[in-house]
Order: sequence, then C-alpha cells, then structure tokens
Amino acid sequence: MIWAGLLARAVQMSTPLMIGSLAEIYAERTGVMIIAIEGIFLLGAWGGFVGAYLSGSMVIGILLAMTVGVMAGTVYGIVTIRLKQHQIVTGTAINIFAAGLALYLYRVLFGVPLLPLTVEPLRSIPIPVLSGIPVIGKAFFDQNILTYLAFLLMPAGFWLLFRTPLGLTIRSTGENPEAVDSAGINVEKVRFLTVLFASALDGMAGAFYSIGFLGLYTNDIIGGRGWIAFAICFLGNWNPLGALLGALVFGFADAASIVIQTSGFRLIPNEFLIAIPYILTIVATIARKQFNVPAVLGVPYVKERK
Amino acid sequence: MSKRDKQQDLSGAGERIKARDKCGYMLIWPLVSVTLGLAASGLMMLLLGHNPFVVYLRLFTFAFRDTYNVADIFAKATPLILTGLAFGFAFRATLFNIGGQGQFYLGCVAAVFCALKLNFLPAVLLLPICLCSSMLAGGCWGAFVGYTKARFNASEFLISMMSTYVALAIMNFLLRSPLKEVKGEYPQTDVIGQNAWIPTLVPHTRLHWGFIIALAVAFLAYFILWKTTLGFRIRAVGMNRNAARYAGIDEKRIFILVFLLSGAFAGLAGFMEVNGIQHMLVQGFNPMIGAEGIGIAILGNAHPLGIVLSGILFGALKVGGNLVVQTSTIPSSIIGIMEGFVMLFVILSYFLQDKLMARRSKKEIKARGKGSQ
Repeated sequence: MIWAGLLARAVQMSTPLMIGSLAEIYAERTGVMIIAIEGIFLLGAWGGFVGAYLSGSMVIGILLAMTVGVMAGTVYGIVTIRLKQHQIVTGTAINIFAAGLALYLYRVLFGVPLLPLTVEPLRSIPIPVLSGIPVIGKAFFDQNILTYLAFLLMPAGFWLLFRTPLGLTIRSTGENPEAVDSAGINVEKVRFLTVLFASALDGMAGAFYSIGFLGLYTNDIIGGRGWIAFAICFLGNWNPLGALLGALVFGFADAASIVIQTSGFRLIPNEFLIAIPYILTIVATIARKQFNVPAVLGVPYVKERK
Repeated sequence: MSKRDKQQDLSGAGERIKARDKCGYMLIWPLVSVTLGLAASGLMMLLLGHNPFVVYLRLFTFAFRDTYNVADIFAKATPLILTGLAFGFAFRATLFNIGGQGQFYLGCVAAVFCALKLNFLPAVLLLPICLCSSMLAGGCWGAFVGYTKARFNASEFLISMMSTYVALAIMNFLLRSPLKEVKGEYPQTDVIGQNAWIPTLVPHTRLHWGFIIALAVAFLAYFILWKTTLGFRIRAVGMNRNAARYAGIDEKRIFILVFLLSGAFAGLAGFMEVNGIQHMLVQGFNPMIGAEGIGIAILGNAHPLGIVLSGILFGALKVGGNLVVQTSTIPSSIIGIMEGFVMLFVILSYFLQDKLMARRSKKEIKARGKGSQ
C-alpha cells in the first residue's frame, strides 16, 4: 500500500522536472543555458497562483504562468543572445530579481493576509479502467492534466528534436552555428525563439508547484527544484528520453522524502531526506563519464568571428 | 581536447573582465548602473502608492542619520565584501562559485560550534580558533567543488549550487539537535560567551574589528591575484585555459586552490556574522547573502577594490532600506528588487563597455594603418 502511494507521489513530483528539463534541453541544444530557470520556475509558480486565485480558473492560471515565464525569458534572451552577455551572470541576476519581484507583487496584490491564501489544486482525472490496475494504475492513470501533458511532451519532444527538419536546425545551432548561418538561417532568431518556448514551459512547470500540488504560493516554494531540472538535462545527456528517466528518479527521491517525513519514520533525520535530491545530483554529476555537451553551449554567436 | 574545454575558451569572459579593468571609467559605469537600478525600483514603489523620491530621501537620511547607522553600514558591508570576494576571486579564474551561501552557512556552524564548546578559553585564543575553523569549514566545502571539477570534470556551477542545499540541511540538522539552545524552544543556538565576541571598533555601535579583517582579506586577494606567481597562474587559467596548460600550469591544482580560497572567504563571512553581529546562530538567517555576494562581485567587476566599494554600497542600501521598511508600509522585498535591478543594469553597462572598447580598438588599428603608409 505504501508503495502504491509512493509511486503515485513520485510520478506527481517528477512532472515539473520533466517539463523543466525538456525546456532546458531544447534551449541548450541551440547553445543557450537557461540559468534563469530557478527564477522562471518561481515566477511561474507566482503567475499560476495569482491567475488561478483571481480568476478562479486553472486555465487562466497556467496561461498567466506561461506568459510571465515568456516575459522573463525575453529579458534573458535579449541580454544573453542579442547583447551577448554572460549567461551565468545574467541568469543569476534574473534569479535574484525574480525572488524579490514575486514577493513584492504578491504583497502589492494581496497585502498581508492573516491566513495563507489558497486555491483548490488541480484535480486528478482518473482514466476509466486503466486507473483500476493495482499499484501502477494509481500512479500513471490517476493524475492531474499537467502530468499527462508531461508524459506526452517527452516523446513528442524527442520526435521533434531528432526526427524533423526543425529539430535538426535546433541541434545544429548548438553544434555548428556557422554552418546554420551559411545555410541562410538566422542563428540568433533560432536561439531566441527556442528560449521563449523553453521559458513558457518553465513557467508552466513552476505553476505545477503552486496550483498543481500545494494550492498556495510561498516564496520558497521552488527551493532549488529549478536547478534539479537543470541538472537532469545534463544527466539525461541532452536527450528528452534520458531526461524522462532522470525526472522519474528525482521525482522518486522527492516523493520518498515527503512520504518518509509524514510516516513517522525517525531513523534518518528529516533534513537529510530533504537533501537527498541534491546529494543525488552531485553523485550523478560526478559518476557520469560520457557527456554529449552541445559544442558551443554558453557561447554567444558572433558573425565572422576572427 | 574535449568539447567542454573548447566551450570555455570561446566564451571569452576572462578576457573581457580584464579589458574592463583598463577601461578608463571604472567608477562611472557602476555609478550610472546603480542610479538606473534605483530609478527602476522607484517605479516599482509607485505600484504601492509611494513617492520614490520621498522614499530614497528617507533611505539616505536614515542611513546617514547618526554614528550608529553609519557604523552599521560598514558592519553590514563586512560579510557582503567577503561573500563578494568568494564569487569574484573564482570568477577571475573563470570559475563559478555559486555556492557561497552554503560555504557561509558551514562557516557559521564551525564558528558557533567552537565558540560554544571552547568557551572556557580566553578571547585571545578563542577568537583566532573560531576564525580559523570558519575559514577551514567554508574552504573545505569549497575545495570539494574544486576537486570534483579537477578530478571528474564536473560542472562546478551545478555542484556548488547543489552543495548549498546540502550545507543548509547540515546546518538545520545541527540546529535541531546537537547545537539546539538549552531551553529547547526554537531551532537556534544559545548566545555565545562574551569572550567569543569580536571587539567593537567604534564604541556603542555594531561595527566590529571584523571590518578591518575584511579589508585586509580583500587586500590579500588583490595581492595574491596580481603580485604572486599563483595569482598569475589563476588569471592565466581564467583567460585561456589551453594556453595556460601549454605553458605548463597545472589547471587542476588551480581549480582546487581557487575553490579552497573562495570557500574560505565565504566561511569567514560566517564568523563575522556569528561572532561579530548575531552572537548566536538562528535557523534560516541571511538566506540571500551568497546571491548578494554575486551581485557585489559583478558590480565591482570581480576586482577586490571594486568589491569593497560595492559591498559598502549594498550595506548602505540595506541599512537605509531596513529602516524605511520598518517605518512605512513598503515590504522588505523591495531591497531584493533594488539589488536585482542594479545587477541587470550593470550587465547592460558591460554590453555598452564592450561596444565602446571594440570601437576604440578599431579606431586605433585604423590610425596605425594610416601611420605606416
């Protein structure tokens, strides 16, 4: 019984990690690391909650989350791609800014509420028959709409990236931008549009934490999970299917820490359970030998360099 | 050569920070960026119906109202300068130490641990022990990041980020059981004995001798980077990793050493906060100090002198900002917004500086070409 609950929670917690790491894979395949991912997750969580709370509609919440994500992505894209500034530096600036901004605008909108404001989280939609299968039925066929969407997005993302001309353009932009340029394709445009697409997904992933899971917004709601999605992109070798596997593993670690904390198991202190996903990231990063890093990852494109 | 090495050489970040050092307007650019950042934050204040001019006037009159507040600016600047150095020092080697926060936490833990457990010692012995243990704790935590970079070619950015969360877990665990106050009510330690307090520099204020130590450390960082062979190697690795390797520099040793020193700086900031200001360790305090250090290092172009000045500026913003927040309805998150805007404008100014420098060197080349004809 505990295993079925754990598995269901693991699949649930891996949802935003899947969406976020898919977004990161697309951006990094064009040569841009979205270091602002943590901040965009946070803004997405904020946007999702505000939209859902004010309108009463989950759809509007998710749309607002994606819009806010795209706005942050636009700033990030202009500074790193068009103005060719350093991605890690710019991303860090946006992360600090996002933390201040989300808290400030929450205060502007809602003042200081006596009780935390809540919305009803996204309901799970059991799929008839399939959700009746023992153990895995509850885990895979009784989840909310974002989880189903994530499971559709990963194979679709794989197909688009490796089986279509558009995917080829995206991959080439990160491997050999000069060749892409001489084929008459605008490198900066490919990168910028991909970053916008990715930040829309990141915003949606962030919204999962506020309206898909907890039903409220706090400023530490993301707590480094954006970085975990970033790490899964590395560990999944810039491949959506690898990332799917990675997201499930990390979702399981996240779920295990929640389940063990609430079950009254006292052998390992809570704090270390919370740290499991981060320790796992460190171990996995060290253990991974073969990397398929996009050749110009993190390097702005300058026409006719040298 | 692996793909990853190629990637770091092309980005040219190391060459660009060096070029900016020489750019004649070292002070003007940051000042303009700060002004624009504050102006943009002023627009945010309008959202809550506050007149930004009134707010800023109050902020600066508060910050410079009396000796206590002015001294407090420097007291607040002390740990900020150190976490700024933690990022800036590694940045000179084009390494990214995003984990200053975690190294700071472990420095705090080490300092408070020594202060509590060795409280029978006189101050002359106890203070140096606390200082060294905080540097050692932060330094080892940092060196681990450098080691994974050197040994496994792991992304130092990712590992240092993750190590912060692990450090936070360690601190929270220690605060909940072994180091918890005797009363056992809150996740915090007891107040440390007076013999472990850093003596104050200006009487009746919070400014302590730690500020002088921070200045000395900044000078030390400058000295290491520009006056020693080690510093030359560090900057060479930062500028062009392949050239450095061909010149016979052991880059792996540099990775570990740089992270060791960087982490030690951040750990020392923990000693300053625990023994100088708080005199105890409370759960979840100063959660932004690592990120602010990054902002300070970027504002100061990763140069120790620039970092000291930016640290003092951020200190002033904090002191004035906190007083404004306490005496009005503006939420404290406005301080984070100000810092974020300032950082973004600094990055935009980097873009303009790069452009100007490119234009200047083009002109020089043209002039030289004409001269030779």
